[in-house]
Amino acid sequence: MSGLGWGVAPLWEGLRTGRSAIGPFHRFDHRLHRTHVAAEAGDAPEDLARTPGWDRLSVADRFAVAAAVEAVRQAGLPLPFDEDLAAEVGVFFGSSTGGMWEAEGFFRDFLIQRRRARLRRLASHQVNAPGDALARHLGVTGPVSTVSSACASGALALGAALEALRSGAVEVALAGGADSLCQLTYAGFNALRSVDESPCRPFRAGRAGLSIGEGSAVLVLEPLQRLLDRGAAPLALLAGAGASCDAHHMTAPDPSGTGAAAALEAALRDAGLDPAEIDFVNAHGTGTPLNDAAEWSALQRVFGARAAGLPVTATKALVGHLLGSAGAIEAVATVLCLRHGELHPVPSGEPAETETETLPVALVLDRPLPLPMARAAVSTSLAFGGSNAALVFSRWPAP
Amino acid sequence: MSRPILVTGLGTVGAYGCGAESLRRALAAADPLSHLSEVDRSAGYHRAHGARRAFLLGSAGLGEWLAPGEARRMSPPSKLAVAAARMALRCAGLAGGDGEGEAMAPTAVTLATAFGPSSFSEALLRQLLCEGPESTSPFYFTESVANAPAAQIALLCRARGPNVTVCQREAGQLIALGQAAAGVAAGKVPRALAGAVEEMTPLLHALLDRFGALAAPSPAGAEMARPFDRRRDGFVAAEGSTLVVLEPEEIALARGARPLARVLVWGSAFDPTAPRTGWGSGGGRLARALLRSLERAGLAIGAVDRIVSGASGAVEGDRLEAGFLRAAWGARPLPPVLVPKATVGEYGGGFLGAAVLAAAGAPFGPTPGFTEPDPGLGIVPHDGAVLPPPSTVLVTSLAAGGAAAWLVLGAPRP
Repeated sequence: MSGLGWGVAPLWEGLRTGRSAIGPFHRFDHRLHRTHVAAEAGDAPEDLARTPGWDRLSVADRFAVAAAVEAVRQAGLPLPFDEDLAAEVGVFFGSSTGGMWEAEGFFRDFLIQRRRARLRRLASHQVNAPGDALARHLGVTGPVSTVSSACASGALALGAALEALRSGAVEVALAGGADSLCQLTYAGFNALRSVDESPCRPFRAGRAGLSIGEGSAVLVLEPLQRLLDRGAAPLALLAGAGASCDAHHMTAPDPSGTGAAAALEAALRDAGLDPAEIDFVNAHGTGTPLNDAAEWSALQRVFGARAAGLPVTATKALVGHLLGSAGAIEAVATVLCLRHGELHPVPSGEPAETETETLPVALVLDRPLPLPMARAAVSTSLAFGGSNAALVFSRWPAP
Repeated sequence: MSRPILVTGLGTVGAYGCGAESLRRALAAADPLSHLSEVDRSAGYHRAHGARRAFLLGSAGLGEWLAPGEARRMSPPSKLAVAAARMALRCAGLAGGDGEGEAMAPTAVTLATAFGPSSFSEALLRQLLCEGPESTSPFYFTESVANAPAAQIALLCRARGPNVTVCQREAGQLIALGQAAAGVAAGKVPRALAGAVEEMTPLLHALLDRFGALAAPSPAGAEMARPFDRRRDGFVAAEGSTLVVLEPEEIALARGARPLARVLVWGSAFDPTAPRTGWGSGGGRLARALLRSLERAGLAIGAVDRIVSGASGAVEGDRLEAGFLRAAWGARPLPPVLVPKATVGEYGGGFLGAAVLAAAGAPFGPTPGFTEPDPGLGIVPHDGAVLPPPSTVLVTSLAAGGAAAWLVLGAPRP
């Protein structure tokens, strides 16, 4: 779920038509903030809101539970899990702020009118809360772990899941992330002057920062043979994962793109694929001038002369930056693009009058790009603190 | 592990001081009251008769490990983590603690934190909510993210491998070490720095007190953790950082490293009966998960000759831990059970450092605070008797909220 709606169907419909969910929002009063747009998820469908215990969950917990239930149902796994399956399932999750939105309510009361401060608002405030919540909801008894490496969390969680599957520690992995809008991150990114006053414009002229979003995405991962043995078919293959660190600066990316390229190359090595076998890129593409430029440098390092012609999309242009869940929802978008044989576009938007030049990225604009023969794609996540992650997905069956 | 992974360096900073030797002395002396400090309760949010003390760093100097020009750009946990990382690298004989350079480039960093940089998050929230959103400091924001300490380690140690921060409450530090060791074993990187960091602010301490998690002082004296004791009433909170260096055996031995321990197995599981802020009743299922992970590694539970338990004095947490251990061992007697959190407290990585030292054969004093066995638990922790060096050490940590993790460490080969 994201600003485009609750569920995969509204997500894909919004992505393929290039409909941006970034706009006015209502989660909190933002009149005193510097900017006034975000991609806010609407209310949960009524059937979900009737889930027992729903009211006690934080917004991020609800996103996680809803995404996990949808993913498990789509995978054709039985719900509730029986005891044997519950022990074979692991949860690998990413989150940047967990239940910070609810924690802010506690702190507001604590600072202004202490007697009203209710501890129960902190019960889900930790970043591990969304992953724990979905594990508790589904009765998972296998491993559960949460990565909180800022904007790379979701992709790193998928990488951890892949390792756990390969090692045999789990038979099934629920991997993804969840984050909700909160004032802390909204104000924090604004303090860094990293938020665009308009919907973000990754790689485009006039890009002036990111747009914050919220939501969750969960992928069910299983070894191919196990899946085929139970009579199911994969949506795509998670072929490889790679990670690296810039070790350059706490917030600014290494402009040379060396660190991001190292993550991409590690993911390709892990997948056993050559860069020439990658047919499109779902870029981190935040829309910040420095980040997009560094990512372009990384793409040039990895793909060489092909980089300028390699089709690129940037899911954040439509759903905003889901922070700890960004890598997860962009993985879902990548899988959907491979499955449907077309690359979702980003809106070209109004011409901008700033000094930021358009980068020579083959960005898919306004209309989906048919790619029926696409074999494989990469999705990148580049975080605060220089933590980089890349995922390689390949199409199933191969075209 | 698909191939032997060694712990070749240990860096730690906590209320017990700086360095592995300080921790070793504290564990042998088993006198936690000597390094307990009063917490600032002036905010007035602690319970009237609640916890008053914690294992705080106080004036523990990091000057040897961190230049003032570096420290000024860091939150408290970033300072602790970088200092511990440099100690670990020096202990491992890698760089000089500050040289790093290109040789360190492929190093991974996997760091656990339960609460992240609390003081900076609190400061940011105060700015945001009291002074308005445009008053928020970009510096506070940058250093308030959970992965700031891991990123600072990468920056200052030039560690360009995967950089991961794990948040899984009390289980996080074992998950971090386990995932890092698995990455090294899989050949993803030639070495990793793994561990934990935490700071304990007055407000965080007060909130833990309000949740009923902390031990309270008694008329007879200061609070104590009392793991497995009938009178236990909570844990004692701690701050600090511990990092270890992990390397494949063949690489470590080829360069003449002196290993402290071997990482044999790691695993984790979840108890869905646990409430969001407490412990559940699924000890039996967790034990079956432990046994499965040992079986996958070809290790019998009977081979474990020492337990480093994550029991902390938490009323329900220790009950779950006892049920978990007794279910895993069945009718067999448990090997000696060491409970370092009685000495180093909960959070901050002292427990992880103690586990490595236990595998290395460090002596442990009697379990502080344990005088009255809880008949419902049936576990009597270490009484201070001299123990032979262990060969196989099970390290456990069961988190509030449901996560559980364990490691099996082997003694370094002679």
